[in-house]
Amino acid sequence: MSVADVTTVLPDTAGIAADTAGAVAAAASRRILFDEVSKFYGEVLGINRVNLAIPPGITSLVGPNGSGKTTLMNLMAGLLRPTRGRVSVLGLVPERPEEMFRTIGYATQHDAFPPGLTGFELVTSYLRVHGYPRADAETLAWAAIERVGLADAAGRKVAGYSKGMRQRIKLAQAMAHRPSVLILDEPLNGLDPMARAEMTILFRDLAAAGLHVVVSTHILHEVDRISDQVVLLNGGYVVAEGEIEGVRDEMEEHPVQVAVLCDRPQLLASRLFLADHVVEAKLERGVLLVRTRDADRFYLLLNRVVLEEGVRVESVAPADSDVLAVYHYLIGGEGGVQR
Amino acid sequence: MSVLERASALAVAVVPPLPAPSWGLWRRQLAAAVRLELKKGFRGRRVLGVVLLASMPVAIFALHALFNSPDDPANVGEVAWHFAGLYQAFIMRLVLFFGCVLVFGNLIRRELLDRSLHFYFLAPVRRELLAAAKYLTGLVVTLSVFGAATVASFFLAYAGYDGAAARRFIFDGPGLGHLGAYLGVTALACLGYGAVFLAAGFFTKSPALPAVTVFGWENLHFLLPPALKKISVIHYLQGLCPVPISQGPLAILADAPSPWVAVPGLLGLTLVLLFLSAWKIRRMEILYTED
Repeated sequence: MSVADVTTVLPDTAGIAADTAGAVAAAASRRILFDEVSKFYGEVLGINRVNLAIPPGITSLVGPNGSGKTTLMNLMAGLLRPTRGRVSVLGLVPERPEEMFRTIGYATQHDAFPPGLTGFELVTSYLRVHGYPRADAETLAWAAIERVGLADAAGRKVAGYSKGMRQRIKLAQAMAHRPSVLILDEPLNGLDPMARAEMTILFRDLAAAGLHVVVSTHILHEVDRISDQVVLLNGGYVVAEGEIEGVRDEMEEHPVQVAVLCDRPQLLASRLFLADHVVEAKLERGVLLVRTRDADRFYLLLNRVVLEEGVRVESVAPADSDVLAVYHYLIGGEGGVQR
Repeated sequence: MSVLERASALAVAVVPPLPAPSWGLWRRQLAAAVRLELKKGFRGRRVLGVVLLASMPVAIFALHALFNSPDDPANVGEVAWHFAGLYQAFIMRLVLFFGCVLVFGNLIRRELLDRSLHFYFLAPVRRELLAAAKYLTGLVVTLSVFGAATVASFFLAYAGYDGAAARRFIFDGPGLGHLGAYLGVTALACLGYGAVFLAAGFFTKSPALPAVTVFGWENLHFLLPPALKKISVIHYLQGLCPVPISQGPLAILADAPSPWVAVPGLLGLTLVLLFLSAWKIRRMEILYTED
C-alpha cells in the first residue's frame, strides 16, 4: 500500500470512527447508563461496580431492604454522587441538575412535603420553582393531578392525605413537568388493589408513550405485570438484569419448572423422568411439576410422549418464570422480601 | 365550574416548554423559591421564637416608658446613651445574634430533619440559586422582624421622657440619623450573622455548636488584640453605632473602623460566606435516605 493509498483510506477511517462515536452518543442519549458505578457511605457499601443500560419502558428494581435500590435511584437523580464510575441519564449528567431535572421526574419514598400546602399548591409550587409562569404551572399541575385521580382532593392539605393519596400526589409532582424519565421509589406502597391497578395502567401508558419508567418495588407479583425489564439487586450488587424471561434463560444452572395438567400425570412423569435434562418430576394436587435444565428439549419430549402415549393434556405452563422465582433463585428466600 | 371540570379543561391545554436558562428564568425560579420558603417556613410556631426574641427589647422599653416618671431629670442625651447601651449590649449581641441563629441556622437543618430538602433538589434549578433563595428568605424575615423591633424600641426609649425635647431631638436633631444608623447596623448584623449561620448549616448538623463558638468569639471580642478584632462581626457593627459605649475596664482598645471600612468589610465577609454556601450546596448529597 502506497502513501497515497493510506491518505485516501484515512478519511474513511476517521469517518467510520466519527459515525461510531455518533452512534454511541445517540445510543447513550436514549438510555440511563451506569458505568462501573460504586457508592460507599464511608465504610458501608451502597452499590458496587454497577453497569446498566436502561432502555425506554418500565424497568423494575427488585431487591430486599438494603440491597441498593434507593441508592441506585438517588444516583440516577443526582441526590447522591458516585464514589466511582459515571452515571448519565439520556446523555445528561447529574452534576448539572438544572439541565437534568427538565428530563427527570423523581417520586422518592419519603412522604415529607413542605408544610401547610394543599395538593394543588404543592404541585404548582414545585412547577413555579422550575420557572413556569403561574398560569402554565397551574395548567400542568391540574393535568398531572387529574391523571393520578386526585382532582377532587387537590384543594385539601397534603398533611391530611392518606398514604395512598400521598403516593398519588408524589407521582403527580414527579410527572407534572412531563419528563422523559420517571423514577418512582416504591410507588405502589400503601395503595389499595384498585389504585394499584390504576397506577399500573398509568405506568404502562407512560411507557407506551416512550418514557423511561424506573420503579422499585417489593410487591413482586406485580413486577411481572408492569415490567418490561427487571434489575435484581442484592447486597449492593446487580445479580441479574434484562427482560424477565431473558434473565430466567441466563440462569442455566437453575432448572426451569413447568406445570402440566393432564389425565395421566404418573405415566407422563415416568416417561419424562428418563430424560437426562429432567431433574425433578412431582405431583402436586393433580398437577405434574417438572424441572428441566433444557426447556426446548423438554417441550419436544413432551410432544413426543403425548403423541406416543395418547395423553390428554389440558394445559402446559411455565411454573416459575416469573420474577419471584428468579428472585428466589438468585437471592434466596431470606432477603426480607415483603409480599 | 367544578374542580373536576376545571381540571379537565386545563388538562388539555398546551403549555410551552421552559425556556433555556437565562437571567429571566433564574429570577422567576428565585422568586418562586423565596415565596415558597416564606409560605412554608415562616408562619405559625416556626416564627414564634423569632418574634418573641424581637419583642423582648420592645417590652423592656415599653415597661420603662410606662413606669418612668415624666418628671425624670434625664435629658435626651442620657436617653440616647441608655439606648446605645441597651442596643449594643442586648439587641446587637443577643437578640440579633440568636435571632439569626434561629432563622438562618435552621434553613438547611430543618429541611434535613423534615426530610424535605429533596423537594428543591429535584427541580431543574441551579443549587446556588436555592442557597440564595434561602438566604434571601431569612433576610426578609429577620429584617422585617428585627427592623420593626429596632424602630419600636427606639421610639419607646424616648416615650417616657419630656415629649417636646424628645420630639426636637428626633425630628429636628440627630435622632432620625441615629435611628437610621441603628437600622443599618441591624440590617448589616442580619446580613453578616445570616451568612455565617447559613454556611454553618451546611457543615454542621445542629446550629448549637457554631452558635456557641461564634457567640464566645464575638463576646470575647473586647479582649482580643486589634488584629483579631478585625475578624469578628461585632467589631464592624460597633464601629457603625452612632453613640459609642464603654467596652469596660479590661477592654483592649482599638480604633473603631470607619463606615467606609466597616460596611464593605461586612459585605465582603458576607459574600465570601455566601460563595462558601453555594460551593457546598452544589456538592451536597441527600443522605437522609436508607433503603
